[in-house]
Amino acid sequence: MNRFGRCCVAAVNRISLLKNRFGQNYLSIIKPYLISKVLTLNFQILVMNRNTLWSLRLGFSGKEAQKIETLGLQKFLEQSFATKVDKKEPDLLVDSPKTKAELKAARQLMKTTDDEDAVKKILRKEIQVSQKLKEWWLEKMMDEAFPLREKMTCFWHNHFVSTYQKVKVNHWVFQHNQLLREQAFGNFKTLTKAVLKTNAMVRYLDNVDNRRDKINENLSRELLELFTLGIGNYTEEDIKNGAKGLAGLTIGETNANYRKLLENNDTITYFGKTGTFKADELVDIIFEQKAIPYFVTRKILKWFLYDKPSEELVTYYGDYFRKVNFELQPLLTKIFTEEYQKNISGSKIKDPLVYILQLKYELKIEKMNTRVLTFFLKQQGMDLFNQPNVKGWNGGNEWLSSQMYLQRNNVADLLCSGQPLNRRRKYMSDEMMDENSDTMLRVSIDFDANGTNKTIIAQLSERVLFQTDDSMQKDFEELLKYDFNPKSEGAENAVLRLFNTMVKLPEFQLI
Amino acid sequence: MNRRNFLSLTGTFTGGSLLLPSFLHAFGQQPSLVIGEQCLVFIQLNGGNDGLNTFVPYDNPLYYDLRSKIALSKDVLLGKNNGMGFHPALKDFANMQQNGDLSVLQNVGYPEPVRSHFRSQEIWQTATDSNTYANNGWLGKYLDLKCNDHEPTAGINLDNIDNLALKGDEPNSITVKDPNRFKIKNEKEEVGKLSDNPQLDFVRKIANSVMEGSEDIQKALAKSTAEVSYPKTNLGKNLEWIARLVKGNLNSKVYYTSQNGYDTHDNQLNIQNRNLTELNDAVASFYSDLKNAKLMQNVTVVVFSEFGRRVKDNGSGTDHGTAAPMFVIGGSNKGKVFGNNPNLSDLDNGDLKHEIDFRSVYASLLHDKMNFDARKIGIKNAGFKGLF
Repeated sequence: MNRFGRCCVAAVNRISLLKNRFGQNYLSIIKPYLISKVLTLNFQILVMNRNTLWSLRLGFSGKEAQKIETLGLQKFLEQSFATKVDKKEPDLLVDSPKTKAELKAARQLMKTTDDEDAVKKILRKEIQVSQKLKEWWLEKMMDEAFPLREKMTCFWHNHFVSTYQKVKVNHWVFQHNQLLREQAFGNFKTLTKAVLKTNAMVRYLDNVDNRRDKINENLSRELLELFTLGIGNYTEEDIKNGAKGLAGLTIGETNANYRKLLENNDTITYFGKTGTFKADELVDIIFEQKAIPYFVTRKILKWFLYDKPSEELVTYYGDYFRKVNFELQPLLTKIFTEEYQKNISGSKIKDPLVYILQLKYELKIEKMNTRVLTFFLKQQGMDLFNQPNVKGWNGGNEWLSSQMYLQRNNVADLLCSGQPLNRRRKYMSDEMMDENSDTMLRVSIDFDANGTNKTIIAQLSERVLFQTDDSMQKDFEELLKYDFNPKSEGAENAVLRLFNTMVKLPEFQLI
Repeated sequence: MNRRNFLSLTGTFTGGSLLLPSFLHAFGQQPSLVIGEQCLVFIQLNGGNDGLNTFVPYDNPLYYDLRSKIALSKDVLLGKNNGMGFHPALKDFANMQQNGDLSVLQNVGYPEPVRSHFRSQEIWQTATDSNTYANNGWLGKYLDLKCNDHEPTAGINLDNIDNLALKGDEPNSITVKDPNRFKIKNEKEEVGKLSDNPQLDFVRKIANSVMEGSEDIQKALAKSTAEVSYPKTNLGKNLEWIARLVKGNLNSKVYYTSQNGYDTHDNQLNIQNRNLTELNDAVASFYSDLKNAKLMQNVTVVVFSEFGRRVKDNGSGTDHGTAAPMFVIGGSNKGKVFGNNPNLSDLDNGDLKHEIDFRSVYASLLHDKMNFDARKIGIKNAGFKGLF
């Protein structure tokens, strides 16, 4: 042990001596001592368990922490990449119009009928299907053994935005979502090409209105500004000309395709190249541009790791992304394994999804109404299939306003005491309701029943807070005092209260 | 019903005397600033305050026999009457009693006492039997039933951590860790870095601003000033803020704060003296502040601890015990000493047997001050008679 170490041990021994002697008030007595003698002795800052942290980053809760630890990150990633995609259409879509003929018939029916109720009924039914689709996806996120694919699907969902609000055909929304899932770990260039050919996208960005002599630039613009290069890396001419290339790409039976009559076959100049280019060629040209890897790399870093990634990192990983021909697997592997080594935490504000799913997981709530979860997400500004605009959720600081924070805390309070979020408890004629009534959620929490107050506090902190300091530790020890007996009846209530306190701290909002 | 309605309604219900027009008010010579709004202020002494050295049975020779190292001599005690006297640090408690504003309830506790700090506090805070476990606190349950909408400032807890007593189904109370924070609001944003993590700083800033009801608190603070100087202690500071909120007409029904350090297994004379001095000085300032504001009749202060301490000393300290005195100040209480003097010859494993159940005091506080039937929140004990 070096001199500094010995000094620390001596200081700690001295402190416990003083504690025995002066009881609870020892701190006031040792303060001057601490200041004079142990100025260099920083009280320990405890940080989150690294595998829990990475489980939260690569998934939605602490559920995979154990797996990451056992497999190692590399293997965990490999297995995540290797997960199979269920090709089957979810049953909830079975009655929704799918083929062009069915859609046309439905449209026709709504147009011709005088029965307003019937029209409303059709519309309402599709809104309900859309709601079920959200729940279906959310359940996938919660249930998958390796949820990284869903996390990445959600990344693409927020990159290649296409909302139900505008698309209004559930099958198209699902097909778009399924494409993002299938190619989640594929190739960025291939995926970009495929996305342009989804019915959802040509509808969402108005390419259905982009015709030979009546050009609509929307898709062409967002292709450059939001999907690939980012603002400042193209000209208005490129947008205009790109729109000509995209003209006539419109709704098809399963995928969007060009309709001969609506195409524009003018010779155009796109990023200095001249010719007649269609969607695939446009994308090829875009991917030859110097700026191509950085915009999406920055977004990946933001989605998983840093609200404000440094430009050095963006360049470093972006250059690599180009080198591997925009293959996602090597890029993600490199980012995750290298950043894992850096031991950085607290660099990102949790999105509402991770916030609520982590609470649900830690509180072991089995039967939680998925519908209520989707409603919470909507309230928190993360409505699935329904971003506010094509730019998607900006994330970062925008996840939290005082309103959102307050709502998160209220939700945490409700869940920690086992109350479902969807109904307020009613008080029958002024009397208390039984705390065990069946409207309550069953909540419980894992803790070591053979531990002490300190080990339980440490165990929970490691799982819940990206870091804790000395003063928080003191507060926790007031909640769970030294004579806390984890084996006593009702002990779990006390641990739940500790957990409740922790999850309302700013340190819970960050990963 | 919104909070204002609820609070003013209960105000008019509370205690028959309050139905009188304010100029006929029985207690204040002048109308009070706040008419008829009753509130409760709890001061929880953490660690188990030694009751026998707080309110001392100086006439009982057993006291000196059993506490050879730590007994207080009759000469130093204050406000001596009927064999009982106050610890010398509690000079203002003695005065308040003289003024008829302080009642002492002797031997307060509960059946099958638990000597764990942790569990005993839980019992005091949930008002359950010692073998029953509840998620919500007694005041939280009360506020749940009284506030139809949730009312974020119906209960105010000035402490570092949430208090189980105030925990209910609805967020009817808030914990204010550092009331100074409210002072700086609306002033310039804090400048400079708080930590080396900008994301953490951002979230902390948000966290500081999210207190629901903080606007009400702001308003109350703006309306009141600090006229009495309070001691610069934690408790002094907390009571000063409570006084300002009461004077500023925040209309909270319950305020809660605590003082640490009463776990005197060792060196008790010094430590308890220091603690009780802090308690006395802070409460004295609070008392004279609210007296000046003609509000003391509306504010009931309750001082208690999770348990008393072993009758026999362990050398220079005492171990965990059971029953202890509880103090009630203001709120036009009767200013008496209730209950028998501690019986030092009939002990239960060396500890006092309780004679007054703390839940009967709770029931009386709720009934006499809040016009609320404690049975609705599961307190079966009848209210303690004659306190108010």
